[in-house]
Amino acid sequence: MSRPFPYAYISCPCANTPVPDPSKKRRSRESPQKASSHHPDQPKPPPRFDDSEDEQTFDPRAPRSNLSLYPPEHLLYCEDCHQIKCPRCITEEIVCWYCPNCLFETPSSMVKSEGNRCARNCFNCPACTAPLAVNTLENVVRGGTSQQGPWVLSCGYCMWSTLDIGIKFDKPTNIRTQLAKLTATDTNPSRSRQMSRTFADLKSPLSTFSSIDEQFPPAPGEARPDDSPDQSNGPLSPDARFHALKSFYKTQISATSSSPSDPLGVDFGAGFSSPGALNRIMSLYTSSSRLSSLYGGASKKPKTKPPVMREALTASEGFKTPAADAEAVLIQRMAADECGWDGLASLEQRVFQSPDARFVEELLPLATLLRTKRAKRCKSCKHILVKPEQKPQSTRFRIRLIALSYIPLPTLRPLVPPPAAGVTSGSAPGMNLDALPPLRPTQLLLTLKNHMFDPVRITLATPSVTPGRVASKVTILCPQFDIGANSDVWDEALQGNTTAAGAAAAGGGTGSNATADQRSSRSGAAPATATTAAPGGHLGMFEKVAEAGKVWDKGRNWTTVVLEVVPGTLPSGSSGVTLQSRDQAPRTTHSKTTGNDSDSDSDTSSFGGQAPDWTGQAAEMQQQQQQQQQQQLQPDEDVLEIPVFVRMEWDSENQIDRPGVSAAGEMVKRELAYWMVLGVGRIDPSVLS
Amino acid sequence: MASTSFTNSGYDDNKRPFSMSSLRGTPSSPHTPQHHLRSNNSSFASTTSSTSFRGEEDAIIFELGARWLRAGFEGESAPMCMVSCGPEECRRVGDYRGWLKTNNPDTDPAQSRPLVNPEDWASAYELWKMDLREADLGLVEDKIERVFRETYNKYLLTDAGTSRLVLVLPAIMPHPLLSAMLSTLFSRWRFPSITLLTSATMAATAAGVRSALVVDIGWAETVVTGVYEYREIAIKRSTRAMKALLQETGRMLTSIPTARRGVVSQSAPGDSGISVRFEFCEEVASRFLWCRPRESPSSADLQQQQQQEPQPNDSETEPTTQHSPLSSLLQRTVEIPSPSNPGSTYINLPFSTFSEPVESVLFAAGTADCELDDEEKPLPLLIYNALLTLPPDARGTCMSRIIFTGGGANIPGIRQRILADVAALVAEHGWSPVRGKVIEQQRRKLANLRISPSSRAPKQQQQQQQQQIPEDPPKTSDEEDLKDPIEQKIRRNNRDRDRDALPPSVQGVLREVESLGPWAGASLTTNLKIRGLVEIEREKYLQHGLAGATRDFETHGHHVPDRRSGLRAGGGGDRSSWTLAGWG
Repeated sequence: MSRPFPYAYISCPCANTPVPDPSKKRRSRESPQKASSHHPDQPKPPPRFDDSEDEQTFDPRAPRSNLSLYPPEHLLYCEDCHQIKCPRCITEEIVCWYCPNCLFETPSSMVKSEGNRCARNCFNCPACTAPLAVNTLENVVRGGTSQQGPWVLSCGYCMWSTLDIGIKFDKPTNIRTQLAKLTATDTNPSRSRQMSRTFADLKSPLSTFSSIDEQFPPAPGEARPDDSPDQSNGPLSPDARFHALKSFYKTQISATSSSPSDPLGVDFGAGFSSPGALNRIMSLYTSSSRLSSLYGGASKKPKTKPPVMREALTASEGFKTPAADAEAVLIQRMAADECGWDGLASLEQRVFQSPDARFVEELLPLATLLRTKRAKRCKSCKHILVKPEQKPQSTRFRIRLIALSYIPLPTLRPLVPPPAAGVTSGSAPGMNLDALPPLRPTQLLLTLKNHMFDPVRITLATPSVTPGRVASKVTILCPQFDIGANSDVWDEALQGNTTAAGAAAAGGGTGSNATADQRSSRSGAAPATATTAAPGGHLGMFEKVAEAGKVWDKGRNWTTVVLEVVPGTLPSGSSGVTLQSRDQAPRTTHSKTTGNDSDSDSDTSSFGGQAPDWTGQAAEMQQQQQQQQQQQLQPDEDVLEIPVFVRMEWDSENQIDRPGVSAAGEMVKRELAYWMVLGVGRIDPSVLS
Repeated sequence: MASTSFTNSGYDDNKRPFSMSSLRGTPSSPHTPQHHLRSNNSSFASTTSSTSFRGEEDAIIFELGARWLRAGFEGESAPMCMVSCGPEECRRVGDYRGWLKTNNPDTDPAQSRPLVNPEDWASAYELWKMDLREADLGLVEDKIERVFRETYNKYLLTDAGTSRLVLVLPAIMPHPLLSAMLSTLFSRWRFPSITLLTSATMAATAAGVRSALVVDIGWAETVVTGVYEYREIAIKRSTRAMKALLQETGRMLTSIPTARRGVVSQSAPGDSGISVRFEFCEEVASRFLWCRPRESPSSADLQQQQQQEPQPNDSETEPTTQHSPLSSLLQRTVEIPSPSNPGSTYINLPFSTFSEPVESVLFAAGTADCELDDEEKPLPLLIYNALLTLPPDARGTCMSRIIFTGGGANIPGIRQRILADVAALVAEHGWSPVRGKVIEQQRRKLANLRISPSSRAPKQQQQQQQQQIPEDPPKTSDEEDLKDPIEQKIRRNNRDRDRDALPPSVQGVLREVESLGPWAGASLTTNLKIRGLVEIEREKYLQHGLAGATRDFETHGHHVPDRRSGLRAGGGGDRSSWTLAGWG
């Protein structure tokens, strides 16, 4: 996995509530059985013998779980709903837009006109996406003033510069407008599009040719002044084509809807096609709607035939037929020696470029995409969870309810058996978590640290065998325990100060313990590490033996329990037929032929309900097992991940200190339950039993 | 007789644009702009909506495909972004493996990659499949939710759910999938309404035409849609599309000896697995796949071909002018990164290699006609069949407005090649679905008898076609004028205005028209304030879901003809019920 082992992920409880399908309500009540077969869940679902959904073991390897698992620090907590909130169960509101490059804020009214991109000098390299710098080509100092030559955008990473596409700028400011002008006048149609797309909006409204004639369509006799130069320039760029088409459609719609409906009207109607004209009013009634007139009443008499929008016919209207040799020229260019692999733009490079840009030399620098600061609200109660400061430069938050201050922070580390007396765990090599030996019991320490000011009672549950093909056995030696309350930061600091200042002072006996606690209680580091690293006193820990039902270690606001894991063996394709698969092999091959049949049976049974359900499921399971046997090792299948169900209970009091908490008055019993996934390590593929 | 009447009506339809174009002159006198135009503008002074502020009412348009999603605002010419939903996008939050180049099994050259079943190889990269039997709809919902959320947060930079949503969808969507998508969007965000538009019609709109033959060379299927007056009237599908093409490219790259570290795969290329990475393969395909021009006909056929060829432009210029460049092209070699180790070494491959997957997949080269299933017709045949199912007048209009969209349309050379192949099919068979030796004999007999206009009719048609092509377009219109006195009269009235400005519309000739793509079409349509026929309002959907849609099209009276176009006729219609139209 991306994160170094060991790691912990938390599955947001919202994953268990499926998207409500309103059409389901209409149907008669169905058994949950059918509903689940309607939504065939995962390729490798856990056994479906228990049909209630929350009884199901969370499978960290199911394709859906990837989208519901979050690192604990990504989660928020709603104090009103008392629930974990992931990015899926919040709504977001944009607080401000800013350029990540220059950190200038863009006012919301300008965001769209600037095409969601920075309007200043921030550009990204089209080849490698690194930010581009504005550099001068010549720097001649003449007299007192330095004469600086034309400017270019250049990439410090891949050495790309706008010289590669033949673009120089006159001044170092307002690059984007300059670039727009340069590319708009460019005859290369593929080049002009990209920028004119983002810049057509910056022009004054009167300069875009779609502006005037949409209101006052010119007489057909006179050529449109704006279009004619385009026509002479040859094919329009896609952006210009789009605007040409838009104005064409607008003209057509206004022409067909306002003109008299019978062709004779042309003769006398020209002077009377004002809003008051009779035939116009009549046409309101004859054609029930503007667009139905487009489709023409073929059945009607030709005299009352409503006018029909015509098609675009000329290039100035946005119509385009490709040049006959365009494709051949492309092929020639592709095959040319000077082009090659690197001369052709990659898919990644082409995503934000013009659809016609195929070669690297057609790529244009991209203005940096703006970013947003967003406030987040709980989706169900609209309570604000996160509210950042509006200034882009500020990293502070006005409100930030992160889940880690409410749920215990899980940390996992291997319990290293004492190699020799006197060697501390810090210097010991420890266990290689990237190659866990299969079928050998491994003990892990799971520490949960409470950040709430109330003591919490935790109940952990885990399937005894991890789901999936690689079945590892997991035992939590002490699944039920308490964690102490977190104390106030000030108390802690004061306590720490006094003890640190003078061990000679009063509280010496408990002092060392307290410092260790204090150091670890707020920071993210595993507290147990701190305690073991602390010299003296705790060396005796190594003599400890993990016992069932007993907590391993306990501090002021944290508790450590032992997890015993026996990693399963990998179903290796090479030689090793593992024990487990050997057991299943004959059965599955036997059921291979019947599997298909009974599968189809199960389909019918789920609809008709004639056959007992369990046969269908059994066959399904067999087939799945059989499929699983056939499959090769999937990526990440060798990662040992343990789903752990965490249930926490606590009594919360009225806390005045914290904002946003409703005054509860008395003690309220709260509980929170969620699935957590502990990533232990990778199982060593080379070791076969 | 029947055919002639058809043709007549065809002329009729085709002339309507002319008569309308004649009307185009009337608005020259001052008149009040229409209400819908005014409502488009925030004020009279700022005329184009593109210059106005981003209003709340600016609809957001998403074009959803099996692999890519395009999103942007109405009235813009191109989408803001194009997002895929591959495995990289579906990783856990906080899993930055894609960025790590070291210690990554995917890019680690030391690890020889196993052969993967082509179906699994590609399926991880698609958002959905048409075959929903094995699809996990929950997963699709999750993916849609994530991809929409990230699109809003990264690219659209606007609050999700505040404005109307327009979805451009393929014409056929499985209902569970549609329901899953709509339920996710409505329950996750507060979209006031979602409008559905079909991609084929939108592609036609973005080309500026009312009728077209839209050839969408998409991911799982190539869909050929005959759009006539904005209505989809014929659809043909084939599984020969980009997915199969990429799989074939993957097999080709896998079978390169160096790719498997000396282990040359012995199995037949048809069913072997793929060992190269999908991303690499797609990269190679997007950069280097190309399509050969149509083979110059053999000397024996040449004579015949030239006589029958309805497109002298294509058939004659291409073989002569391209013959020598083609042979030189075929001898070229290009360098691509080695499939086994893309990071460090390069290998040389003949340029012709990269046209082979296209030939074999999209054109079914080397496969006999009789072996082809109905669902896997090669593209030229598919287009020919689609044209054949159209009524003759619609066919004449559509064949001269062929629009290529979809990812496959970007393969250089493919459009010319398909057109040339279709032209050859037309030349060979005419517009008759009847094939076979006996028919040929009978036809010959009849031709020998020479009794009737019935045997001459097809020839005449052909001749007409032949005539039409070399002629200048204005001439054809003159012919038409002579045939229709009324049209002529109207024409005379407006001769001065029209004649010089507008070329007449082309008909009966194979011709390609370029479209800006379905997304741009939807952007245009939405910006013109044309309502979609399928407009699903939030409250109504949340009550009953898809089941709430009325299937009773009779109640819609005059809307029935527009049903498949996906466009709702302006203001009318009762808003109490909603419909799924073509998706229903």
